[in-house]
Amino acid sequence: MSETTSQLRERRWGMVIDLDRCTGCGACVAACKAENNVPEVSRRDAFSGRVMNWIRVAHSESQERHGPSAAYPILCLHCDDPPCTKVCPVHATYVGVDGIVGQTYPRCIGCRYCMGACPYTVKVFNWHEPQWESELRAHTNPDVSLRPKGVVEKCTFCSHRLQTARDDAACESRDVEESDYQPACVEVCPARAMTFGDLRDPNSDVSSMARSPRSHRMLEELGTEPSVIYLKERERRV
Amino acid sequence: MIRALQWLSIALMWGFALSLMVLVPWLVVVAARWHDALNWSLAISLVMLPVYLTVAGVLTYVFVGLQRGRDDRSSP
Amino acid sequence: MSEPTPTAPVGLDEDLYRPIEQTGRGFYSMAAFFLAVFAFGVYQYIRQLRFGLGVTGMNQPVTWGFYIINFVFFIGISHAGTLISAILRLTQAEWRRPITRMAEVITAIVLAIGGLHPIIDLGRPDRLLNVFKWGRLQSPLLWDVMSITAYFAASTVYLYLPLIPDIARLRDRGTRPQWLYRFLSWNWQDTPQQRKVLHNAMNLLMILVIPVAVSVHTVISYIFAMTLEAGWHSTIFGPYFVAGAIFSGIAALMVVMIVFRKVYHLERYLKPIHFSNLAKLLLVMSIVWFYLTFSEYLTGFFGNEPAELDVLMTKISGPYAFPFWLMVFVNFVVPVALLSRKKTRSIPVILFVSVGIVVGMWIERLIIVVPSLAVPYVEFPQHAYWPSIAEIGIFAGAIAAFCLGFMVFAKFFPLICIWEIEEGRSEALEESVERFRSYLPDPPREDALKEGRP
Repeated sequence: MSETTSQLRERRWGMVIDLDRCTGCGACVAACKAENNVPEVSRRDAFSGRVMNWIRVAHSESQERHGPSAAYPILCLHCDDPPCTKVCPVHATYVGVDGIVGQTYPRCIGCRYCMGACPYTVKVFNWHEPQWESELRAHTNPDVSLRPKGVVEKCTFCSHRLQTARDDAACESRDVEESDYQPACVEVCPARAMTFGDLRDPNSDVSSMARSPRSHRMLEELGTEPSVIYLKERERRV
Repeated sequence: MIRALQWLSIALMWGFALSLMVLVPWLVVVAARWHDALNWSLAISLVMLPVYLTVAGVLTYVFVGLQRGRDDRSSP
Repeated sequence: MSEPTPTAPVGLDEDLYRPIEQTGRGFYSMAAFFLAVFAFGVYQYIRQLRFGLGVTGMNQPVTWGFYIINFVFFIGISHAGTLISAILRLTQAEWRRPITRMAEVITAIVLAIGGLHPIIDLGRPDRLLNVFKWGRLQSPLLWDVMSITAYFAASTVYLYLPLIPDIARLRDRGTRPQWLYRFLSWNWQDTPQQRKVLHNAMNLLMILVIPVAVSVHTVISYIFAMTLEAGWHSTIFGPYFVAGAIFSGIAALMVVMIVFRKVYHLERYLKPIHFSNLAKLLLVMSIVWFYLTFSEYLTGFFGNEPAELDVLMTKISGPYAFPFWLMVFVNFVVPVALLSRKKTRSIPVILFVSVGIVVGMWIERLIIVVPSLAVPYVEFPQHAYWPSIAEIGIFAGAIAAFCLGFMVFAKFFPLICIWEIEEGRSEALEESVERFRSYLPDPPREDALKEGRP
């Protein structure tokens, strides 16, 4: 296991998703796409399974597989011991000091080994040179780099916002607070199903929610130690 | 001319082996610098290096051996 | 099939020089054909470079397709050569003599082709050098880079060393291009000392090349086994891949041997006994392969772990059922049915079985690579994987490159190790009599040895 995992970490940014609140509306998907300049793909590519989303909402109807129940958003879980970073041949994906699993696009050689190694299937690949319609291109987020064709990308917990928050905090000579840094999906969620914060801080909202008896992590048995924690639905009385 | 080509091929083989000898420690340095499982990369590099050295060594042994072993009286 | 009786006098290996010294029209037309197919593959690759990997049929979640399948397949075939020829030489199997060269040539060519496939598969081949600059030795892909390089180096040298005396023969016959043979023969004059040097070096390489060859396919299996994917994360993948590699390697070797036997009229050298012996080896490997396949899938099935079972079910009854059962049929049922009886172990049957196995082992790689990706742990929109023209074109180009490489080799160098055959005629017979005697319980009688009679 890499030495980065425990000793060097200052923080561990994490997310709690309350499945009891999630309505599966897909606002997080749209917000994420706009925030992170995730390109639209052509109709043909979409039909052949090359849709690019950093977060997707799975629904229980289609769920024959072994994830949690109901509508549940899936994004990169920012594992503590990620299977993807272990197999990368060029250090293009790594666990950062904040517990965020990052991607270095200019270094990625596009072997797609990390995509196959990820048990959650959250990484996407730029099968073609990304194309925007002219208006959309003008409205891309300047804080997030545009990816070229042939590299792997995925959710970064909007780490560019962490960058901004760090800069702001440094100007005011204080530490980054949770309220300074929230990913786009969390911000936009109308049902407030997502909560974001520092899992290292025992007093944070995420930490207390993570202690809930409803909390579980996806495919816990694989030992990847995800930083995204799901709260399963309460039983309902009919 | 042919002699030069022959020595060139030996040199290439050694260049190949030596560049791998340089590459592998460099990759270990990268692993150390980025705190990325240094011990494992050390273990792997120790397995890989002797193989290249042996192959290059065998080739040189043959080429030098054939030169020494030839019958000089009838050499072309 | 009736075998032509040997007519040429012993000691004359003219048949082996003929393909080098006389090139027919057939050669050029075949070469042109393969070159055209190869060019089509290159064209498809250039298209892929220009438009990105989107020209292939790969998608999410099936992120690896034909290229990785072919990579595993070609590297598997490469085990034909060096490994088999090294093992046969090491065990002093006398019938190896006309086989070793072809096996080694297959290895060298196929390894070069297979080794290129991961590069073809890259989304950013222009950044290939990042593997050297920022490579992570901890990644199984780097293990692969290292061990395939080592195997390529070792097997090329292992092909070249036994070639030296033959090259010297060609040089002395005045075969053109002289400069090539003079360059490669390295002043070989067949002096006792040179023989000793070559012999020592070959012995050393022979032993070195076996663990390296085993490591290559083990490490390739580790690419899959080191991940947590259901259907990949298996402890027996190392030996499973190595066994499969040797299996497909022998089959490919037989196909090549039968084809070139026909084309270059090598019936005097490659006799039914050689095919029969190799067929027995093939039969054994077929059973070993089935045993490992069975063990691999039974543990998944019996454990009933949901993810593992889902992958297994797509293979045996889902969309991959047809290739799966075809694979079992051609890799196990057909060889066992046809090769286990002496009556059916004839050359045309062996050709049929071997072609089946080569195809079957390709399907096996498909069955390993694709279904595990297509059925991920977590629910994901499903899309069938179908190769596009790019993948098919590059696959055809790779096969054409192999044929072309083999033909070009056969144009310049003898396909059967001439000095080994000569050695077999002149020395090996007596040597093996001695050897057999040393196996026997009675101590060899001094007087009999001196007189040189049994």
